[in-house]
Amino acid sequence: MNILGEISCYGQCLKSWALFVSLFFVMSIALITASLMLKDPKKRLQTFVFAQATGLFAVAATFYLMNCSEMLSLYLYFAYVAISTILIFGTLRYYDRLMIKRLEAKPAGSILKWTQEFVDKLTSARVYYFDSAVPKAFAAGRSIFISIGLLELLDEDELKAVLAHEAWHIRHNSGMPFLSQLALMAFSSSSEPELEDQADRFAAKIAGNTALYSARNKVDKVFI
Amino acid sequence: MVKLDQINISNDGLTKFFSPIEAAILRALWSEGEMTTSELTGKTNIPLTSVAGTLDRLVKAGYTTRRTESINGRVRYVYEPVLSEEEAASEITTKILDSLVQAFGPLAVENFSKYSDKK
Ligand SMILES: [Zn+2]
Repeated sequence: MNILGEISCYGQCLKSWALFVSLFFVMSIALITASLMLKDPKKRLQTFVFAQATGLFAVAATFYLMNCSEMLSLYLYFAYVAISTILIFGTLRYYDRLMIKRLEAKPAGSILKWTQEFVDKLTSARVYYFDSAVPKAFAAGRSIFISIGLLELLDEDELKAVLAHEAWHIRHNSGMPFLSQLALMAFSSSSEPELEDQADRFAAKIAGNTALYSARNKVDKVFI
Repeated sequence: MVKLDQINISNDGLTKFFSPIEAAILRALWSEGEMTTSELTGKTNIPLTSVAGTLDRLVKAGYTTRRTESINGRVRYVYEPVLSEEEAASEITTKILDSLVQAFGPLAVENFSKYSDKK
């Protein structure tokens, strides 16, 4: 059957609803376009999740309202699922690549060899450093990012405590189901205090209480 | 039309062009040449939390450069001023003159030549 015939059938079956449903499709496409253009990864993902929800609603409405041929909507639905799944996986995979590119981060092993070796013993993650005097450390995807400012400030034991803390986050993230990982990235703006406590407990076990507390004192709240 | 809103008159000199922390950092670098981050916080007596972001900005704006050194397992930045104090003063004067001419046009130039005649 030809596609144009399907589309006209579509219009006839949906009748007065056609405008309403197509509005949701247009909105979903607009949101996806917006999410591809946004720079901030968190906002990008939020927009993308909204686009998904709108699209899903439009597809569900089409299924519910159509009585005649369902061929085209089935094709559309499969195409939609395939494309969105690729995009979701792409966003998650792309997340730390995006940070590496934006911060112009380089492998920390090239400047302090032991940092990568130390993390290798705790989890499988890459350690990167980036050019900033502001002491900062964070984990994204399967990567740990530390600023040169942090390397300047901390001694070896304190740095081990920070790396162990971030390694715990990566271990915890990788054990999380895919969808809650996505939800956490999209909807929680700051880290949960409970997770921070657990990450700190792990860091204290690996690097010792003294190192953890002196690191926390030197750089209060900059490693999350 | 005179663009009065572009004119900013003050007697504070450098601190008006640079923020007080930026000016303190640049003065330290001009007197010492090369400095590490901890030397800068020591000399200016400004805590690292305030200095670090300012240093990133000064590097980005091109007023200082920094290189990364790795000695005995410790990593550190070494800062250097890009312009000398005289060069910075000359750049600032040029920018202020530009804005005077932009705001007052020929009047600014006329007053300036009167001023240099008097001298
Ligand atoms: Zn944390």
